[in-house]
Amino acid sequence: MMLSFFDQFASPTYLGIPLIALALSLPWILYPTPSNRWLNNRLLTLQAWFINRFTQQLLLPLNIGGHKWAMLFASLMIFLMTLNLLGLLPYTFTPTTQLSLNMGLAVPLWLATVIIGMRNQPTIALGHLLPEGTPAPLIPVLIIIETISLFIRPLALGVRLTANLTAGHLLIQLIATAAFVLFPMMPTVAILTSTVLFLLTLLEVAVAMIQAYVFVLLLSLYLQENV
Amino acid sequence: MLSRLALVSASALKSSGPLGAGLVQASRSIGTSPQSLAPVPPLPEKGGQVRHGIIPEELFQFLYPKTGVTGPYMLGTGLLLYLLSKEIYVINHETFAAASIGIVIVYGIKKFGPSVAAFADKLNEEKVSKAQEVKDLAVKSLTEAIEEEKKEQWRAEGRQMLFDAKRNNVVMLLETNHRERLHMVTNEVKKRLDYQIDVQNLHRRLQQEHMVDWVEKNVIKSITPQQEKESIAKCITDLKKLAQTAKATA
Repeated sequence: MMLSFFDQFASPTYLGIPLIALALSLPWILYPTPSNRWLNNRLLTLQAWFINRFTQQLLLPLNIGGHKWAMLFASLMIFLMTLNLLGLLPYTFTPTTQLSLNMGLAVPLWLATVIIGMRNQPTIALGHLLPEGTPAPLIPVLIIIETISLFIRPLALGVRLTANLTAGHLLIQLIATAAFVLFPMMPTVAILTSTVLFLLTLLEVAVAMIQAYVFVLLLSLYLQENV
Repeated sequence: MLSRLALVSASALKSSGPLGAGLVQASRSIGTSPQSLAPVPPLPEKGGQVRHGIIPEELFQFLYPKTGVTGPYMLGTGLLLYLLSKEIYVINHETFAAASIGIVIVYGIKKFGPSVAAFADKLNEEKVSKAQEVKDLAVKSLTEAIEEEKKEQWRAEGRQMLFDAKRNNVVMLLETNHRERLHMVTNEVKKRLDYQIDVQNLHRRLQQEHMVDWVEKNVIKSITPQQEKESIAKCITDLKKLAQTAKATA
């Protein structure tokens, strides 16, 4: 059976058991539970510090109504970042390369923000469809454009995450294959390719963290508009 | 959840016949537990010892009696060679990717590990120092309060002397007052007595003068004109005699 480069993105099953469930739930064990102690070990201290700082920064522009989403945002960020970073290890499967998962995260959350806006402050929510200071003749066109932009948002959220991670993983595979194939034939070129691979890995680490952050940040922005 | 299971099974055992009740008597009664969360056992100072970042020291200690110092390394090398030679682990493109990410991880940990650990320690240290500050402040303010209290006690002792002095003052004032009044009384009495004396003197003088006047009047009355003439003639003769003597001596 010929292996293509896209087989790494096939959702793994074993004897009919979808292993994506394990891939989604096992990263949880990497994070220790906060204990009753006042002074904890280093891992717990750093974890608590990071989550506190991140949530504080993210919730700065939100008003009190938006603070209800604090736990969701913090856990979503940690979840996505862990999944992305663990996917960079060899022979691992990254669940966030699956469009189904990312759309499953993006669409309900985006829809929640829209519905909250429409229910609590429909005028303001609809008012976002028309930016301030548009000249009068442009208004109808702009409303259509803004509506399209509104409905593209969940698609963009999901596809952005999927595409970034899939592209990154594919590139790593391709360049690693190139280095592997060139190694017996032209070692110097293989070393150059390995350098490219090293740099790409660094980029992918950054991308993994940034994409998770961007996902959560955009959701908080959508919430800010509507709450 | 398991404790609930134990409770349910315990109550089931209790209600199930004569033997069940006897069995449950041996176990602990419901509502108490030998476990206790306090005091919390202290955290170990350092984490588990590892060699080369991931292999626990306990493996080396475990293998040391039988295989010495190089035992675990021989085990590792042998295992690796076995996996490679039997193609249980196939070297493919993922190996390169693994090497790449491995270098990134090792470099990251070596470079940023100590600083991150120091940062975590600093966070804990700040927590402790804040609490320590509160405690030190409280201790300091209490010590100062003790000092103030001692000073107040010393002042209270000193107040006794103040009271004695004031008491003396008052006594002296009273004494002075008393003496002044005595003086005044004496003066008044003396004045009255002096008055009486003056009155008596006045009486005596008046009596004397009156008597003298009466005597004079009587004498003058008793001098008859005959006697008057005689006395005047006598005086003239006396005077003449005197003039003669005077003329004689001069």
